[in-house]
Amino acid sequence: MRISLNWLRDYVDIDVSVEELAHQMTMLGLEIESVERLGDDIQNVLVGKILSIDAHPDADKIVVCQVDVAGEVPLQICCGAKNMKVGDKVPTAIVGATLPGDFKIGRRKMRGVESQGMMCAAQEIGLAEETDGLLILDEELPTGEDIKSVLGLDDIVLEIEVTPNRADWASMIGVARELSVLYGTELRVPEVSLVEQGEEIDSLCAVTVEDTALCPRYMGRVLTNVTVGPSPEWLCERLLAAGQRPINNIVDVTNFVLLETGQPLHAFDRDKLAENRIVVRTGKAGEAINTLDGETRKLSDDMLVIADGTIPQCVAGVMGGADSEVSEGTTTIFLESAFFAPASVRKTSRGLGLISESSQRFQRGADPEMAAYALDRAAELIQDLASAHVAQGVIDVYPTPLVPREVTLRYARTLRLLGVDVAPETQRDSLERLGFEIISHDDTEMKVRVPLRRHDVSMEADLIEEIARLYNFDNIPVSLPKVRPCEKVFAPDEKRIRAFRHFLVGLGLAELYNWSFSNPDEVQRAALPESYRKMIVLENPLSEKQATMRSSIIPALIGNAARNLNYGVTSIRAFELGPVYRPAEGDTLSTQHNRVSLVLAGDVEAAHWSRPARAADFYDLKGQVEAILAHFGATATFKESDGDTFQQGQRAEIKLGKKVIGTMGRVASAVGRAFDTDQPVYVAELDLDALLAQQPSPAQFQSVPTFPPSARDLAVVVDASVPSGELREKAAQSGGKLLRSVEIFDIFEGEQVGAGKKSVALNLVFQSDERTLTEKDTQKAFDKVLKRLKHEYQAELR
Amino acid sequence: MKEQLEAFQAAALDTIAQADTLSALEEARVKYLGRKGAITEILRGLGKVSAEERPAMGQLANVVKGAIGSALDDRKVELSATADAAREESEAVDLSLPGRRPQRGHIHMVNQVTEEIIDIFAGLGFQVAVGPDIETEFYNFDSLNTPADHPARDSHDTFFVKPGVVLRTHTSPVQMRVMEQVQPPVAVLAPGRVYRVDYDASHSPMFNQIEGLLVDEGVTFADLKGTLMHFVHHLFGKNTKVRFRPHFFPFTEPSAEMDISCTVCSGKGCRLCKNSGWLEALGCGMVHPEVFKHANYDYEKYSGFAFGLGIDRIAMLRHAVPSINHLYDNDLRFLEQF
Ligand SMILES: [Zn+2]
Repeated sequence: MRISLNWLRDYVDIDVSVEELAHQMTMLGLEIESVERLGDDIQNVLVGKILSIDAHPDADKIVVCQVDVAGEVPLQICCGAKNMKVGDKVPTAIVGATLPGDFKIGRRKMRGVESQGMMCAAQEIGLAEETDGLLILDEELPTGEDIKSVLGLDDIVLEIEVTPNRADWASMIGVARELSVLYGTELRVPEVSLVEQGEEIDSLCAVTVEDTALCPRYMGRVLTNVTVGPSPEWLCERLLAAGQRPINNIVDVTNFVLLETGQPLHAFDRDKLAENRIVVRTGKAGEAINTLDGETRKLSDDMLVIADGTIPQCVAGVMGGADSEVSEGTTTIFLESAFFAPASVRKTSRGLGLISESSQRFQRGADPEMAAYALDRAAELIQDLASAHVAQGVIDVYPTPLVPREVTLRYARTLRLLGVDVAPETQRDSLERLGFEIISHDDTEMKVRVPLRRHDVSMEADLIEEIARLYNFDNIPVSLPKVRPCEKVFAPDEKRIRAFRHFLVGLGLAELYNWSFSNPDEVQRAALPESYRKMIVLENPLSEKQATMRSSIIPALIGNAARNLNYGVTSIRAFELGPVYRPAEGDTLSTQHNRVSLVLAGDVEAAHWSRPARAADFYDLKGQVEAILAHFGATATFKESDGDTFQQGQRAEIKLGKKVIGTMGRVASAVGRAFDTDQPVYVAELDLDALLAQQPSPAQFQSVPTFPPSARDLAVVVDASVPSGELREKAAQSGGKLLRSVEIFDIFEGEQVGAGKKSVALNLVFQSDERTLTEKDTQKAFDKVLKRLKHEYQAELR
Repeated sequence: MKEQLEAFQAAALDTIAQADTLSALEEARVKYLGRKGAITEILRGLGKVSAEERPAMGQLANVVKGAIGSALDDRKVELSATADAAREESEAVDLSLPGRRPQRGHIHMVNQVTEEIIDIFAGLGFQVAVGPDIETEFYNFDSLNTPADHPARDSHDTFFVKPGVVLRTHTSPVQMRVMEQVQPPVAVLAPGRVYRVDYDASHSPMFNQIEGLLVDEGVTFADLKGTLMHFVHHLFGKNTKVRFRPHFFPFTEPSAEMDISCTVCSGKGCRLCKNSGWLEALGCGMVHPEVFKHANYDYEKYSGFAFGLGIDRIAMLRHAVPSINHLYDNDLRFLEQF
């Protein structure tokens, strides 16, 4: 809400700078969004009086005027406008003036005639309305006066954010009340003096409230002899400062009073109301209404409407109807001021997708007492500004007046909640100043009656907050609590997940962070198995691309790799630790699982002057996966897998015992292309929960060897189809206890070993705990290994 | 014999001095002092020397032997040094060439900040708790004193999974999930992904929050202020100013928002802080009695505070990241800067 300081000063005296005021309001809970100085960009524009208008000697469309700005001599100003006459007063920018848009006015010649300034149109001095010609000012304005002060352009506007609990703040009087409480000064609520005359209201309009639950209070007045026309300058100024466009005196008054009091009002053209009746009822099936915004809206039977004798004329508390809108020819109006049930207005507003100044206030809770004041205030203004007659009497349907809440506050609770000892008198005084009525009090507690405008106060803690606000949060002391340990550990894996993240980063991987949403077609583009296609679907996604919750991180990582490759990133080594989601049967909630996913693409080793770059391959990925398994102390097996996500011959499932805990491989070319890359991408995804479930017991001591190892190399030629890792396994099993390790150090295929064959070179390390091994010892073990390999694979020593 | 020894010494020292490689020196050693070397030959003649002269000659022979030996040692040191110098010269590296650097990994900015925040609060005795991303409306709203017709529910643009089930709009539901499991004392910190239907330069439909909750006997608003100031001073530095101003949240009473002095202008006013000198950092307050009611906590006995902060925003402030979308773009050229 925009708060004009000039306007605010009508209700409360403000003796502090804007900065100080903004701070004070902030500390009361009125958050300041911005401070706008309206006339900041206008300098040296004065009220000028046109003394003469003469033709320009050389131009038809320009006139030469003498303009008095109360200087020593009148200014000669050339002007292209036509709407002015001698004697008019107009905004006059003198030489050296600045206009909005950093437009500077200098002395210049127009077709040979000197012009010492510029007379301005409304839009040229930043006013909202678009007009042809100059802005003709009120002739009473003093010549030479700064235009900013006469037009209210010297105003400062504070844009405040009103929290949803404080409907009462959404008004000038509401804000002024809070400041008057802070300052301990008077709140000036304008006195209303209206003159009822002519007919009785009952003979002009009948009101029936059918649903008093949704409409606890309905008030109205009728005004006759109304002359609809433009609003006076002061009213336009107020509305413009508040960010509203003036329309006509009737609409402007209702808007003005809404801003002033927070009470939404609605003016009907009484003559358009069938049977001159107002019926407050719920909508009927099939009913619709043309609202003021030009839309036709379907009504339902849980929406409250203001109908006439036949059809709905207004969506109660939300928006009026076009049929009974006040227009130029309107002569009699019915002015409504009501209190509608907040929940009902909220529901209707949401149901229609229609939010208005009115609905926002009603749904937060208006003040049923303010309804009466606002009605009279508006009637008075219309009486004055539209030379209307206020009909005799007022309609007030309020069968069950709202009862103010009574709340008890124990003084000691204030100390217990705030940590500061506020004297009981101060506590009582704070609440009294805020308009709470002290019903009773003793040494330990007080009982207060809550003003009806304070829908947010219903319990002791609410009162303590009020006391704290006035005490000022800044003045509440600062202490550190003694935190006692809790009996339960809530996230036992948290530290291990963090250690794991650091471990992965230590491997040189970068951590990615994708949205949990996924494009439902991604799973298909990644050719993931059917089980991944059962996803949680959002009812109201941002777009189709984020319509589901991801069932795997793999598609996102392929996409990340593709995009980075396309950006020109040459090395992609990354991971993501995060949740995936699956719909759960029966249960209302889904299941959520933690995954760790890896992606490698481009170079795993960057080019260095000492060696060329090395592109990632399957074994880089497998090495990372093996490192992860080792980190968790897990012994897993890699089994060839199927499916179309990965390229055949370079894909595996990772098994812990019989349980598949992951999948990995080189992304199939077709999948890569579906994600917009034709470069090799390697991806793995593991079930982090399964890995975390591995709780290896602490490693146990094994004696450190005291006798030297002895190494032998063994190169054998076998069929190319023999799995080398398996051959290594067999070798390791067959060397007896002296054989301590077997590593493959070379694989070779080529003419030398023959077609369909390969050479596998193993490095065997022998060692004994008892003695230094002799040549004979190692030879014996070596022969055992060779014999086994010959037997198993028809291996030949190379 | 004396002359013979002296001549021998002179010849040996001369040869040693002439030796210009370690192998030539080794040859000299073998020649003069080796088991089959010249000295052995000479000493063999010691037997022919008279008994009176023998001790003196023996002594002299030892002196000669010693002199040659130390000349050999000295020359060896000299020659080794020369040889080392020559080798080192030939092996000199080009200091200006880059080394073989292992690739550096990077923790995502959101997690860097999350870990740091957790550590600050862990130091005060808080422990981590987690809750599901896909939540019931009960935990996300109702149990937090935000019933269906509550206006505060409008400000949370909620993703729905099905009636009654939402993507959590904040980490606050973890409060209730924790409280239903234990009676006070409770001190938890709940980081996690949260979701709102909102997407532009300053909003991501998924972002990260950390929720804090402390419930025990005698917890006060002063404790809330102290705890959060401690946090700010550790994360942003001792000179960061902090202010608490009244605000509204359905699940705390009193409620506040905490501002910190602007990280760009230190409070003088700039574009980031809209000239106010302050940046909104987090929302907080004393746990609402209605929330305790849902948790089955005794409001007469216990009190507590809760707070929730946007990790993304904190990360962006610390690293001067202009748009939240960088955080979830997964552009390695961005990620590898941090
Ligand atoms: Zn700043």
